[in-house]
Amino acid sequence: MSTVDLLLLLAGLVLSLMVFSYLLGDTLLFGIAMYTLVGVSAGFTVLVLLQKVILPMAISPLSAFPQTSAFLALVPLLLSVLLIWMLFKKTSRVSGIPLGFLGGVTAAALIIGVTRGTLVPQLLSIVNAFDPNKMTSAGLPNWTGIFEAFMMLAGVVAVLFVFHHQKVKKQKDAFSNSWLDGLTGFGQVFIGITFGAIFVGLFSTGLVALIAYIQYLVDFAGLW
Amino acid sequence: MKQRTPVIVAAISGFILLAAFLFQEFTAPYLGLVLNWAIIVSSVALLVAIASLVVTHIRFIVIGRKGFLYSIVLVVSFLATLILGWYLGLDDPDYLEGIRTVLVPLENALMGLIALILMSGAVKIFRVRGWSILTVSFGLSALLFLFLNLGFLRFDSIPGVNVIVSNLQRLPIIGARGLLIGVALGALLMGLQVLFGQEVMRE
Repeated sequence: MSTVDLLLLLAGLVLSLMVFSYLLGDTLLFGIAMYTLVGVSAGFTVLVLLQKVILPMAISPLSAFPQTSAFLALVPLLLSVLLIWMLFKKTSRVSGIPLGFLGGVTAAALIIGVTRGTLVPQLLSIVNAFDPNKMTSAGLPNWTGIFEAFMMLAGVVAVLFVFHHQKVKKQKDAFSNSWLDGLTGFGQVFIGITFGAIFVGLFSTGLVALIAYIQYLVDFAGLW
Repeated sequence: MKQRTPVIVAAISGFILLAAFLFQEFTAPYLGLVLNWAIIVSSVALLVAIASLVVTHIRFIVIGRKGFLYSIVLVVSFLATLILGWYLGLDDPDYLEGIRTVLVPLENALMGLIALILMSGAVKIFRVRGWSILTVSFGLSALLFLFLNLGFLRFDSIPGVNVIVSNLQRLPIIGARGLLIGVALGALLMGLQVLFGQEVMRE
């Protein structure tokens, strides 16, 4: 192992030990590690944005000036200048124009993405569970398929109802209905199960990282 | 009245993009152009946000605000990364190795720390929220899936148990589907409110 590799390994070890100092309540070292993470990430992000987006997509097209592409490149450039103006004058009214443009484009992309990417596929998967081919097997009812389809529908409706019912209950304190409360409870069971599974997924990933870190320490100690 | 211009710009750009998307056969080149503009403007917005962060921390250092040591760390690490990257080039292997040396151990250590914090958080949830349908189902589900994911026991050889286990593993899909549809409906509603200017009017 070369001296440079050893130094890099040592730097990584020191930085990760600084993060784990959080467990001892030492906020100074943990804070330094976190601010280093933010600083390096921010610097790298700026570099990537400048070299991979701004220069090739906004500045380079200007070199072909009398052509249409150069004139079209002026539009985002103008919007960008208005946005940068916000750094100097925060209450500037003209800065609202690029923000409005971004808001509108984001909202439209959100509507398209959510509808096509989430809402329709999820609703279709519920509807497809009621496909007659899945609910019958060799001319006889497939009770497992039927149960799964109805369970899916009831579960999804109950989960959606939890949020609505909690909101209504907050608005009207005295409002209580055993049937509606029961449906909310049913939905809460599914939410709890889902969060439990997500928690285990996150926990397992964290645990694997922790084990990898301990292995890293053992490997480092093994160098001597 | 002051907020009218951004609302109108948002509505016009949003509806144009929606129309361009719906009639892609005729508008495909324009759709790409508008999306490119959006990428450039959002990149500049991110740069403005980072510049604002750095300027704020430089101000903290100048006035000697409490905890300005952290601000020094942030500004120095930011400038070092930026200047070195500009000088050596973004694709320089030594530069990338240096960035990896800082970021990877920090991210891995944070991930490991999250495992420990999640553990204490899971215990705390029962103390804070008490015993309810939600907390009990969460706890039981976490224990069950932890046990199943550890893989200590194999159920392949027992046909009856195998079916039960595979059905149990499908249970979180129901809740996840409900949550996804709920979030998607909320996002859709928010997007429509922005396009029709209702989000700003309500403020």
